[in-house]
Amino acid sequence: MRLYDIVVLVTPDLADDDAAKVAGEYKKILTDGGATVVKEEPWGKRRLAFPIGRKREAHYVYWQVQSEPAAVAEAERRMGLSDQVLRHLAVRVDEELKRSAKMAERLRKKAIKRPPRPPAPPAEAAPAASERAERSEP
Amino acid sequence: MRMGGGSGRPGGRGAAGKDAKGGPRKKFFVRRRKVCKFCAEKLEYIDWKDVKLLQGFIPERGKILPRRISGTCALHQRKLQTAIKRARSIALLPYATD
Repeated sequence: MRLYDIVVLVTPDLADDDAAKVAGEYKKILTDGGATVVKEEPWGKRRLAFPIGRKREAHYVYWQVQSEPAAVAEAERRMGLSDQVLRHLAVRVDEELKRSAKMAERLRKKAIKRPPRPPAPPAEAAPAASERAERSEP
Repeated sequence: MRMGGGSGRPGGRGAAGKDAKGGPRKKFFVRRRKVCKFCAEKLEYIDWKDVKLLQGFIPERGKILPRRISGTCALHQRKLQTAIKRARSIALLPYATD
């Protein structure tokens, strides 16, 4: 089982409920393939950053899914065939999350080992001191 | 041999002495130190769905802001880059604008 972020862009020609229905079909493919939906967020109708096939908006639907790769592959294949789906993206995120959690942990440990730097001396003090030193040398 | 002697003794003439003094006073820029935003705020995972965050690294033209300008560290720039590219593929961010 792997964790995926999946985003589907459904045509703006459909009404909100119809778009949700279209997206629901793909969710069903995923759940039939043994996936569990962790998060579900319909982002609603959003403006696209650039037109896709003459469309300037789309219904965005986002899921975070715990799934086998095969189910995601199948859902993506069907999305590619559909005319109602403008774009789709599935990204595996579990490894990335794990890695960044590890990094955060390491940073935290380092911060504990080394006490935070004392606050910097007032901004004026440093340049003034170096200037005086330079002047006195010649 | 000669170089070593010159730099060691303050009285020595030549290149070594000049370097230490810095020669004639040069223009001195006080540049603000750039800090990697993700290191400073301890943001380890750069979410490609977070359009507001990514937008800060997209100048007018739609290109990815280079490290030399934003000050992002190499590790986070790499993560930022993939995040922006993913966001682009589903039209959250532009590839280019004119």
